[in-house]
Amino acid sequence: MLQTSLEFLKREFFKYYYENIDRLVPPEPIRNREFGFFLEKGKGMFRHKCFNSLRDFHEFILSEIPLDIYVSAANYEDPGNRDMSEKKLVNAELFFDIDVEPVNAVSDEEAAWICQKCGQYDIGLKERCPSCGSPTELVRLLSEKQLREALGETEKLIHVLIEDLGIAPDNTHVFYSGNRGYHVHINQEDFLNITGEGRREIIDYLLIQGLDEKELLNILRRGVSIENISLKGVKKRVYMRILEKAGSVEKLKASRRETVLKMLEDVVEELKVRIDPVVTIDVHRLMRMPESINSNSGMVKRRIRLEDLSSFKPLEEAIAFGDEEACLKVKIAPKFSLGGRTFGPFKDEEVELPVYAAIYIICKGLGEYAGG
Amino acid sequence: MTSENVLRAARYPFLPEAREFISRNIDLTLESLEKTGSEAALKRAVERVENALIFKEVKVTVLDELNYVREILSFPIAVILVSMTMNEYVRRMYALGESRGAYRRMLNESDETLLYIGEKMGVEGVLDDESMIRVKIPTYLKLAYSFHAPHWKLVNRAVSNGYVLMGRNEYARLVQVEINNYVYEKTLEPVPMGAAPDSFRRAVGKIVEVWSKLEAAKPSHISLRERGDTPPCIDRIIKKMENGENASHFERLVVATFMIARNRSIDEIIEFFSKQPDYKYSVTKYQVEHLAGLRGGGKKYSVPSCRTMLTNGLCYPDEYCKGIKHPLRYGEENAANKPRVS
Repeated sequence: MLQTSLEFLKREFFKYYYENIDRLVPPEPIRNREFGFFLEKGKGMFRHKCFNSLRDFHEFILSEIPLDIYVSAANYEDPGNRDMSEKKLVNAELFFDIDVEPVNAVSDEEAAWICQKCGQYDIGLKERCPSCGSPTELVRLLSEKQLREALGETEKLIHVLIEDLGIAPDNTHVFYSGNRGYHVHINQEDFLNITGEGRREIIDYLLIQGLDEKELLNILRRGVSIENISLKGVKKRVYMRILEKAGSVEKLKASRRETVLKMLEDVVEELKVRIDPVVTIDVHRLMRMPESINSNSGMVKRRIRLEDLSSFKPLEEAIAFGDEEACLKVKIAPKFSLGGRTFGPFKDEEVELPVYAAIYIICKGLGEYAGG
Repeated sequence: MTSENVLRAARYPFLPEAREFISRNIDLTLESLEKTGSEAALKRAVERVENALIFKEVKVTVLDELNYVREILSFPIAVILVSMTMNEYVRRMYALGESRGAYRRMLNESDETLLYIGEKMGVEGVLDDESMIRVKIPTYLKLAYSFHAPHWKLVNRAVSNGYVLMGRNEYARLVQVEINNYVYEKTLEPVPMGAAPDSFRRAVGKIVEVWSKLEAAKPSHISLRERGDTPPCIDRIIKKMENGENASHFERLVVATFMIARNRSIDEIIEFFSKQPDYKYSVTKYQVEHLAGLRGGGKKYSVPSCRTMLTNGLCYPDEYCKGIKHPLRYGEENAANKPRVS
């Protein structure tokens, strides 16, 4: 990123934070949390930072204008200590991360490639570079469709958390990460002290890992009807879905063992919640600060109310910047949608874009600022 | 206190009402213990610890219960004696023995009494309309992770609205874990050695003697951890086994295959396993040789992959695990300095 682009970014970030500083409220108690920041592109994280008050935190943000802001899921006795074991963990929120799955099939205009070997690039889908023959790198921009799928997984997650694990909706905080996925923070008293082993069990429950297939197979193949079954929780969901797919208890009973087993595997694949297990197990993890800007996209980690979840439009509702025009030198960008508009494709051209779209392209490393 | 309550306190001397009985009726200080005619209680206390070490279970007969003053008093004395041994193995075995005995007795109790004991131990259970006991998920997770059978995994449980449903026996098992934890923690409280009466020191000597005899019957054990490069998942199991804690079949397989992969000899591996409470030389030898490919089809078993460890709930990654797919690759792709963010 060129210095002019960085200055442009910092100026726009400052405007956002200055006008929205009241939205940046870290989870309580603030003095027990560790904070981390990326202050400059390409530099390491500035972490082990702690604040005594919300005011100190806000002052720091407005004077440093960080590119990214993180806060610990954990509460520590001494959050500023540089030695992780000396921080003295008190407890930690449950934290879930759902990322979009990479998709391969996109239309030609929505794709672009770059050859890291010879430096060629163009719009379209090419697995190999036409001039040097080496494998290309796909330019990935956010797609509505992928984000929709991730949102579907998030809805699945929330359903299980509330229905099975008994998490109160008021303690369930959902966010669009600002880039490629969704975050769910659980701030419920009796779940704060769950140990690593306990978190592991919750992860396995969500991913349906370690399921006792034998027992389920027996029930399924004996043709026990739902009224006579005492299943509850994830096993019941699996059972019901298989029954639904098979059509009836009788049909299920008549099926071969291998057929039922295959159905079981398919249903588990369908019903499991695709969380990233490593994130949830790690109590020391830093979470992106709610309502802060994600410098990988220039969008905001936006809080979503549970009742608005199914209608949430990330590429419109997480925009941080205005729509006045900015001039941008774009290297390569496939067609993309943002803020309810469609842009591109662009290649080696100077274009006028709304500030939010310009910042998006700069953050994605596909263009540089060329004046306002 | 009713007679029923007094007998219950004798049967479960770790309950708060047993403490209450003592504080109301007996002067329990180290100085006065010798004078209060507690010789019988001291004798019974030694018996409790010996029961735990030799039979892995503290038995309480009806006659013991009827001798309730002696019985109730013998528990805190046994805890003091165990604490005075300053021996980790004795502590663990004593806690295990007390909790196992209590488990068996709980199975014969009414639902009401069982739930009462559970509640007093902090394992609150609620009986539902279908005579299942409901336990809150965080409580369940805290206790059930120490069990290894698949049916204890949350994914295999009847889970509803924040509760795990279970029958009486399983509930009693959970309460047993908490009793074990409680007794173990009690034995960690230091006892001022100078203040202990001579009779106590002699009793401790007797316990240590029993322990030494049992120890001498086992081959000496070696430490594996000094060689380094042990991933946290396997390190955790090794530490657990070194403390004499019971490891699951799968955990043992992981450690054995890991030691084989690190070129440890069969004898060294068997020696390491001798610390396990249910150790049998012939069984261990057979299984280790089988894993090393020296028996049966000659197939040498490899260390389970990270994925398998994860599914079995044994993955505890640290920063050196980033990017690896197999425990033996531990530390190869060091990404330690990269902060983990989401």
